[in-house]
Amino acid sequence: MARLDDIPEPTRTAVAGIPCPNFTTTPFRFGPRLSERRVAIVSSAALIRRGDKPFPFGSGEFRAVSGDWGHGDILMSHVSINFDRAGFQRDSNVVYPIDRLREMASEGVIGGVAETHYTIMGSTDPAAMVESADGIAAALLADRCNAVVLAPV
Amino acid sequence: MAHMLEERGLPTVVLALVLPQVEKTRPPRALMLPFMLGRPLGEPNDPPFQRRVLLQALRMLERTDGPVLLEHFPDDNPSWSDRPDWKPAVATSAPGLLDDAAAWQAAFRTELMTVLPIWERFKTRFGRTTVGLAGQPPEAWPAFATSYMQGALPTVAPHDTSALALRFLADDLKALYGEAVQADGGPPSARQIDWWFWRQTVAGQLLIALRDVALTSDNNALKTVGGRFFVPVPYLPT
Repeated sequence: MARLDDIPEPTRTAVAGIPCPNFTTTPFRFGPRLSERRVAIVSSAALIRRGDKPFPFGSGEFRAVSGDWGHGDILMSHVSINFDRAGFQRDSNVVYPIDRLREMASEGVIGGVAETHYTIMGSTDPAAMVESADGIAAALLADRCNAVVLAPV
Repeated sequence: MAHMLEERGLPTVVLALVLPQVEKTRPPRALMLPFMLGRPLGEPNDPPFQRRVLLQALRMLERTDGPVLLEHFPDDNPSWSDRPDWKPAVATSAPGLLDDAAAWQAAFRTELMTVLPIWERFKTRFGRTTVGLAGQPPEAWPAFATSYMQGALPTVAPHDTSALALRFLADDLKALYGEAVQADGGPPSARQIDWWFWRQTVAGQLLIALRDVALTSDNNALKTVGGRFFVPVPYLPT
């Protein structure tokens, strides 16, 4: 795991003690083999396209990340200053691994890659994201996706 | 979010970075990763390493012995440790605290002019930059940022308030310096970059000074933003 001991205070205490939803159900969807999965990414990094307005603080919204955005167009507008940006500065795949998915799709390891991916502001209370979950799920199902990689930062 | 998407019909796997959160929320499938916050795929510009992470996560989608599957990725990312031989691509020296806005503006402008050509090398080498949130080019930053020290509350599109304008200028400033210092050679650790920025540059010292300005401002938004979102706690003055 990320070494909690290596996360500076007060972030360490904050992330370890953050209030989390207490789910009473354990949903678990099955699907076909990986080679028949159409995969989408959902990033918590509040990604935006260069020139777009940053996510507001505390926003529960979701936004689309089109698969045709160039790496030079993808910025991160997450509110927190307490996580590493240096990796993302060198390579957006370290947060949003679109190139890796495309390579796997071209090799037949996975069945395909979603046309559009989605992003949220990960520090927002999940209770404020129910409508976003509705919106993301509807869009991904309409795009025939049957696998989601959630990539928090 | 994993739980909610799964309820809505989508199989999910989480690239997880914080074990206590996974233990509390129990997402349907999670791969625990030993990387620092901010880089779920572990290592930038290392496709084979990223692929290993992603493939282990995706393979979890084929397991049928859930619900609630948790696996652990076994390896640190290669640039986790500090590189003792690393030298910043930019030679800078922090000035300590300066007397007034004019002195800060001059010192920051001088430093920025030496950093910009090196930042250009980063952009050429990596074909990208994450600078672009401030709404104005770097050359405009010294005058804009230091005007807050004289009581001004300027705004600039696309930001609605002067607090957000300064907040995203701070983000761009950190990004530009962070990129410039990685312009050459192998990757330093994130800790090395942070220490250099906050302890060895005028820009880092300026953000610490602007935090003080924000905290004493009558503008509540600026006070909140400056107090929480300019300087990470480990680098606050003691």
